[in-house]
Formats: sequence, structure tokens, C-alpha cells
Amino acid sequence: MQSSRKLLIVFMAPATLLYIVFLLAPVSFFLAIGLMQYDAIDLYQPVLTLANFGRMVLDPFYRDIILLTLKIAALTTVLTLLVGYPVAYLLARGRSAWRGVLMFLVVAPLMTGEIVRTYGWIVTLGSEGLVNRALLVLSIIHTPLQLLNTQIAVVVALVHILLPFMIFPLISALASQDPDLVRAADTLGAGRLRAFVEVTLPLSRTGIMIGSLLVFTLAAGAVVTPALLGGKDVQMLGQMIYDLVLHTLNWPLASACASILLALQLCFVFLQVRANRRAVRRR
Amino acid sequence: MLHSDRPVRARASRLRLLPGILLRLTVALVYLFLLGPIAVIVATSFSPTHSMAFPPPGFSFRWYGAFLHSANFTGAFRFSLVLGICAAAIATVIGFLTAYAARRLMQRHGGVVQSLAMLPLLIPHLLISISLLMALNFVSLPDFASLLAGHVLICTPFTVAGVTASLDGVDAQLESAAMTLGASRLTALLEVVVPLVAPGVLSAFLFAFVVSFGDVYIALFLSGPGTTTLPIEIFSYVQWESSPVIAAITSVQIMMIVVLGLVIEKLVGLRRIMRI
Repeated sequence: MQSSRKLLIVFMAPATLLYIVFLLAPVSFFLAIGLMQYDAIDLYQPVLTLANFGRMVLDPFYRDIILLTLKIAALTTVLTLLVGYPVAYLLARGRSAWRGVLMFLVVAPLMTGEIVRTYGWIVTLGSEGLVNRALLVLSIIHTPLQLLNTQIAVVVALVHILLPFMIFPLISALASQDPDLVRAADTLGAGRLRAFVEVTLPLSRTGIMIGSLLVFTLAAGAVVTPALLGGKDVQMLGQMIYDLVLHTLNWPLASACASILLALQLCFVFLQVRANRRAVRRR
Repeated sequence: MLHSDRPVRARASRLRLLPGILLRLTVALVYLFLLGPIAVIVATSFSPTHSMAFPPPGFSFRWYGAFLHSANFTGAFRFSLVLGICAAAIATVIGFLTAYAARRLMQRHGGVVQSLAMLPLLIPHLLISISLLMALNFVSLPDFASLLAGHVLICTPFTVAGVTASLDGVDAQLESAAMTLGASRLTALLEVVVPLVAPGVLSAFLFAFVVSFGDVYIALFLSGPGTTTLPIEIFSYVQWESSPVIAAITSVQIMMIVVLGLVIEKLVGLRRIMRI
């Protein structure tokens, strides 16, 4: 038993060291700076203050960026839910032989990374891109639309990039439902639509919440996509943090902004833990 | 009475099929949306001119040639490969040790260890990256080391999850049997467990490589001269210029990732590793 204990310590040591030295220590230190006073030369003064959080909310420049970020993240979340639900439904309920392939096609784009997919939208939405060409050929428009450097471009690309993060929690929620429930509602004369609205939809609530929060958080923290597709008009929280760290060198303010992102993400963790606990209890 | 009932029933059953057809149609459109931009990239990469128009006005490999002749891009590609292999290898070793400890060496709290291992996924990568940059102000590390540490961090949750999934597929009694027969725990581990979980470990390694190769957020703050990853090189280029050469590079990346994805799918299944 003694040797097994020694082995346990040896096996756990690398991960423990990695997480403490490179994750917990630096992240807590950086977050603590959010409570310090800004200093142009030393980056920060060890004086406790809530000024950074105050400035973030009160200064119209930063407040507008935060409001725009919330708007874009919310829009992205609603759209991914609307677009992702039918896919998740079919993948969770369907018995098609294509299911494996369809599942792979959802995961594979996720693996290419944010930069590749953002670039895909730069090409697709350009003045000579697929969308404008198609609209011109169909005579819906006569001059190419300005699609790049707009909020629409950012939202469309974010929906595309984050869709898998919505689809998978939905699949888990839908697949864990008993399909007999819908059949029972059907037998009782509910009709398909009513059975869906009153049985399937409420029972997939957990999946909807987890997927939405995940997409919302990732959208709110996006840097690359708004920087490449949003142009000058779209300044989001992630870009603001990037500028504060690399250009303005206001680390305390950057830290305060980053803690909003972290807080959002922690909400997601909380929901996920609660959902898991409930699922275990049901079993 | 019976006779007149039939057409009504036929219409009713056709009506019942309608939601299914609508659902399939919607899903087909979503897949078009999901795969369209990627198909557009690959098509544009074969453009014979500087034009980014779609469909491209012809066919050529010139942009693949341009990629091979650009020292910046081939350098970044090679650097990302090396970084990805190193980060994935380290993350796989750490992931294996952690997963084995959680599943086999601990009586209780194994689940807690596994949850804690997911920590880097729960903290925005942007925040991890800035924090490591900040830490460099106090402890001087070579650029490559901090980038590598960041990538190992974001890969480890996936390797822990991947190895755990394949360990669960191996009967723990096999090890007990080997130990009853006189093998030490370490021998049992190396000669019984490792060969059995090899496909899972290999998939975890490949997936970790893909995660590292596609990362932008960690590299955003930790890349420096000489340690620029491919996504960062593309990011800084695309901000100012537009050229099909990027389409060629990303097409190479897409093909590499599709191949790796298919290998992982064959070995253990992608979803088991991603755990989402």
C-alpha cells in the first residue's frame, strides 16, 4: 500500500505543478491587479481600489464597448440556438445511417480553429465573394453589398464558429430524454407541435442553458473574429483587453475587464455542475 | 363509409411527414452554412490570379507555390508543427499519469481530480495568456517555454479526458491478475495497461496537437519574434492584406486536420475525446 501511495504522489505531481505554477498562480495574480491602482511607470501601485471596476461601468467609452459586446454575444447566442436546435434534434433522435458522418461534420470544423473559419468568412462575404455573387446572379441586388467590416459579419461568423458548442449540450439533453414521453403525448392527442412545445422543449432546458452560456461567454471574449470582420465600428471586450494590455498598458483596467469574462464563465460552470448533479440524482 | 375515409387518411399521413421533411431541409441548410466557408477557402486556394472572387476564374497551384516560397509562412508552419508536437507529447504524458492516478490509484476523490483537470477549459484562454505574459515580468522564461507551457495547459484537459475514457474500457481486474501473478504495479501498467490503451492515448495526442495547432488566444500574447505560430502569422497578415496565399495555407491546414480527425474517429471516436 505504501508503494501505491508513493506512486500516486509521483503520478499526480506533474499536473499539480503545471496547474499551480502556470495557471492558478499567474491568473490569481493578474486578477488581483484589477484591485490595484494604475501606474504609468510601474504598471500598478499596490494600493487597493475599486476604481478600475468603476471606470469600466461609468466611462462612456468602456461602457459602450461592454454594451456592444453584450448585444453581439446575445444575438449570437439566440441565433446559434435557433440554428443548432434542429441539428441537435435530428442527431439525437434520428436513426439515420448518416448520423456518424453528420456528427463528424459538426466536430471537424471546430478542429480547424477560429482563424481558419474567420478567414473563410472574409472570403465568402467579400465584395466578389460567394454571397454577393449569388445575390447579383439572382438579381436580388445590383451593386455588391458592403458585408465585411459590419456587425452582421461578426455575428454570422461567431454563429458559425460557436455552433458546435451549442449543438453538443443540446444533443446530450435531447438524447437523455425518454422518447416514449413524446409518444405518450401523441397518444393522448397532443399533436406533434404541441408535444414538442410542451414536452421536448421544456425537458431540454438544461441543454439550452448550458449551450447558451457557453456560446455567450466565448462570443463575449472573442478577439480575432471581431478584429478581422468588424472593422473600426465593432470594438468588443476581448479586443479592448488586448489593446489595454499591449498598447495602452493599463493592466489594472485590463484585469477588471477580464474578470467580467471569468465571472460569465463561472456562471456556466455553476449551471453545468447543477445539471450534472440533477442528472445523477435522476439515475 | 370505409371507402371515403381513405383519401382523408392518406392526406393526414402526408401531413404527418411534413415536419420531418422540413426538419431535414433545415438541417441541410445548416450544414451548408457550416461547411460553405471552408469549401470556399479550398476553392479560392486554386485561384490563378490575385482575385479573391468566387468562383475563382480558373485553376492553378500558384498560391501553394507562393506558400512554399514564403519564408515567413513556412517558418511559422514549421514552428507550429514543432510546438504542437512538443505540447501534445507533454500534455499526453501528464494526461496519462493524471488519468491513471484518478482511475486506478485513488479510492475516492478520483472524480474531483478529473473535474479539476478540466480547469484550463473553464478559464477564458485570453485570461490565461495575459496572466502568463504578466508572470514573465517577474520570472524570466524564454519565449518558447512560456508559449509551450500555455499550450500544454490548454491541451491537458483533453488528454486527461481521452485517456480516462480509454482506461474505463480496460478491465481493472487484468492489472490485479498481473499483480497477483507477481508483477509490480509499474510492470503491470507498462505491459498490460499501456498496450491496451495505446489507441486512446494516440488519439489524445493527435487531438491535443490539433488544439495546439489551431490556438490563437494563448499565442496572441505569448508569440514573439522567432516564436510566431501559424495562426498568429495569418492573423497579422490578414489584418492588412488579402491574398489567395492565405487560402492555400489554410487549405493545407484543413486537409491535415481532416486527416487527423478521421484517424481519431477510427481509433476511438472524436466525441469521446472532446467531451462536449
